Amino acid sequence: MRKTVLFSIVALVILSMLLSACASAATPAPAVEGDAQAPAAAEKVTLKVLVHQNPPMVEFMEAFNKTFSEKYPNITIDMAVVNANDLSTVTQTRLTANDVDVVDIFGFANAAQSYMKNVDPPNWQTLIEAGYLLDISDQPFIKNYDEATIQDAGSYNGKVYSVNLGRVSYSGIYYNKDMFTANNVAVPTTWSELVAACETFSAADIPCMTAGGKDGWPIFVGAYGLTGALYPDQAALVEGLWTGTIKWNDAKAVEMWDKMKVYAQDMMESGASGIAGDAAPGRFASGAVAMFPGGTWYASAIEAAEPSFEWGYIPFPGSDNPDDNKYLFGKYDQGWAVAAKTANKDAAMLYLSEFSDPANYQAFANAVGFIPTQPTATLDTQIGQEVAPYLANFRVGYEQYWVAPKGAGQYANPFASYFKPFGTYDDSQELADKVQADLQSGLDANQ
Amino acid sequence: MIGYHFGRGRAKWSPYLLLFPGIFIYLLIALGPSLATSVYSFTNATGIKGAPIEWIGLDNYREFLFMGQASLDNYAALGRTLVFCFFVTTIQFTLGLIVAILVNQKLKGTNFFRTLFFMPVILGAVIQGLIWSLFLYPLGGPVARLLEFFGTSSEFFGGQPTEAFAWVIAVQIWANMGTTMIIFISGLQTIPDELYEAARIDGASGWQVFQHVTWPLLTPSVNTNLLLNIIGSLQAWQLFLVLLGYRNGTQVLGYLVYATGFGQTSGSVTSSFRQGYAAAASIVLFFLVLILGLAAQTVLQRREERILG
Repeated sequence: MRKTVLFSIVALVILSMLLSACASAATPAPAVEGDAQAPAAAEKVTLKVLVHQNPPMVEFMEAFNKTFSEKYPNITIDMAVVNANDLSTVTQTRLTANDVDVVDIFGFANAAQSYMKNVDPPNWQTLIEAGYLLDISDQPFIKNYDEATIQDAGSYNGKVYSVNLGRVSYSGIYYNKDMFTANNVAVPTTWSELVAACETFSAADIPCMTAGGKDGWPIFVGAYGLTGALYPDQAALVEGLWTGTIKWNDAKAVEMWDKMKVYAQDMMESGASGIAGDAAPGRFASGAVAMFPGGTWYASAIEAAEPSFEWGYIPFPGSDNPDDNKYLFGKYDQGWAVAAKTANKDAAMLYLSEFSDPANYQAFANAVGFIPTQPTATLDTQIGQEVAPYLANFRVGYEQYWVAPKGAGQYANPFASYFKPFGTYDDSQELADKVQADLQSGLDANQ
Repeated sequence: MIGYHFGRGRAKWSPYLLLFPGIFIYLLIALGPSLATSVYSFTNATGIKGAPIEWIGLDNYREFLFMGQASLDNYAALGRTLVFCFFVTTIQFTLGLIVAILVNQKLKGTNFFRTLFFMPVILGAVIQGLIWSLFLYPLGGPVARLLEFFGTSSEFFGGQPTEAFAWVIAVQIWANMGTTMIIFISGLQTIPDELYEAARIDGASGWQVFQHVTWPLLTPSVNTNLLLNIIGSLQAWQLFLVLLGYRNGTQVLGYLVYATGFGQTSGSVTSSFRQGYAAAASIVLFFLVLILGLAAQTVLQRREERILG
């Protein structure tokens, strides 16, 4: 009798496990098309929003979300923040799991070009083709953004999938105005003047530059201005690398590597490799260093860390010809996209529509220091005023065009972080040859 | 005639029914995904549900093992994986044994120390990494200040690849030594006290007691720990993600699988997801673990038979 009861209990447990597994497999998540019925306005909705870590942006979004929820009390915003390095991974995971409504997505870049062989599409293209991003071409708020931005940074195959919220420059240098004045250093407009400025500061025991070396990318991104000064047409640079007309160890490139060595070893402060990306603006604002090569998105963090701190922003002078140093290189930064399978389409569109309202957008642009992508927005912030003289010379940077050939080695990039103390190289020519060899290996493998 | 414990008729199915939930869970979350991974390794899967998947045969393996400088970088990662495994296994095993012997003494406070040594195991890689990132902050962290006192300095995780790699080994050992210790403690507690008493009566020194009583009778725990350490260290990747990220000269195979699968290799936020390629890399890692794991198990099993009979 006891054995019979035991047998029955065990059989029931197993049966229930089987049924629940089969039920999950047989009931796929509902595929909500873009025009599916959304909950009525009065129905309580939780709108899930995903953004990347950018302290002034996150602070703005928290305030915006609060105001939005006060205006639409039935909509609660559940915003998650992830490290920028992890954004694409988390976006993919949550879109696939149908666990997010509105996603922060960087401007569409790194598309395959006709001269590239055997390359994979960028992640945003794969998401669109798999049906995870909603076509928002017919949304009224699209018209609030300038047409070029919609075309360049948010469209694919004639449809709009993202509104891009701003351009950033990543090839400039912040400088400490008071420190420059106190040490009688003029703002450098050429490479030689920059070297001299750093030598003056070093002689006064003042570290010349800092960056968030712990995150890796701030070191090499900080030197993108060096690449830009020598190769102002970065789209042509990428094509030249692929077609072989430009090599990373030709005379011009070796000049770039020589300068990157100076940047990494003589200009960057000792210990920069241990500074987190988010901590670097605060370190600069504290007056610990004279300069901080970095993107315009750091401006708000610098002002928040030390509101009375006097700073300026200039293009990284990578050339001894001042005319070569007039460009700012950057990218289309954050944008909004909507999950194609969202059950809260109306709420998501309302959210984007409110955000895209010119008054709200202006407040956003002021908060994060983006170069606006709405034609009615103005550069009201200090960073806006600093970059205004160079806006006509804003160019999309190398990083937004480059797709590495399969088989290329790990060193196939113009990264200053390959030099000691961040990397292992000490000799410019040796590194130049290694970088070209790594790239060539990939080019040859795809012939 | 030996009785059949579970009876006759339907009751004889009881052991199989009782085993079934465990086997079902294993098939669902371990073997099933592993088989799926091996199939994906022959495709160009991105990992995005709904994206087209094409059968590409051995292309992923050709690319991983033979295509250009990238394949040589992969072999370098394989080499680093073996180095990581060697140092983590030997040091973690040794330290775990020493600590287990110490905390197995019948002294006041041993429970506190057992808890202390085991605590890192339950923290998780993110907390483990955060603790050590702060501890080893080169600009004013505790260890940096101590080194300053001795007139030296270090970039720790931001330093040269070899130094950064060595620090990850240290953190891996710190994070997992507690598990090794617990397994040894359970082994030590199965050794009868009478054997130690007899050895002492015979005049054996501490080292002789360890050599002729403790060490042989710890064989099952030794074998378990060695196998777990070898397999665990070959597959390690989380601390590399948290502490180093994608840094040239530091990747191990486990981290390469993650970085490739989730577009972390190019430095661009729009990098492609290549989970078919990552699956191929993970199969290569699987065979590495299988070969070394089987070899270790064979040697250890023979040793156990020789010692314990």
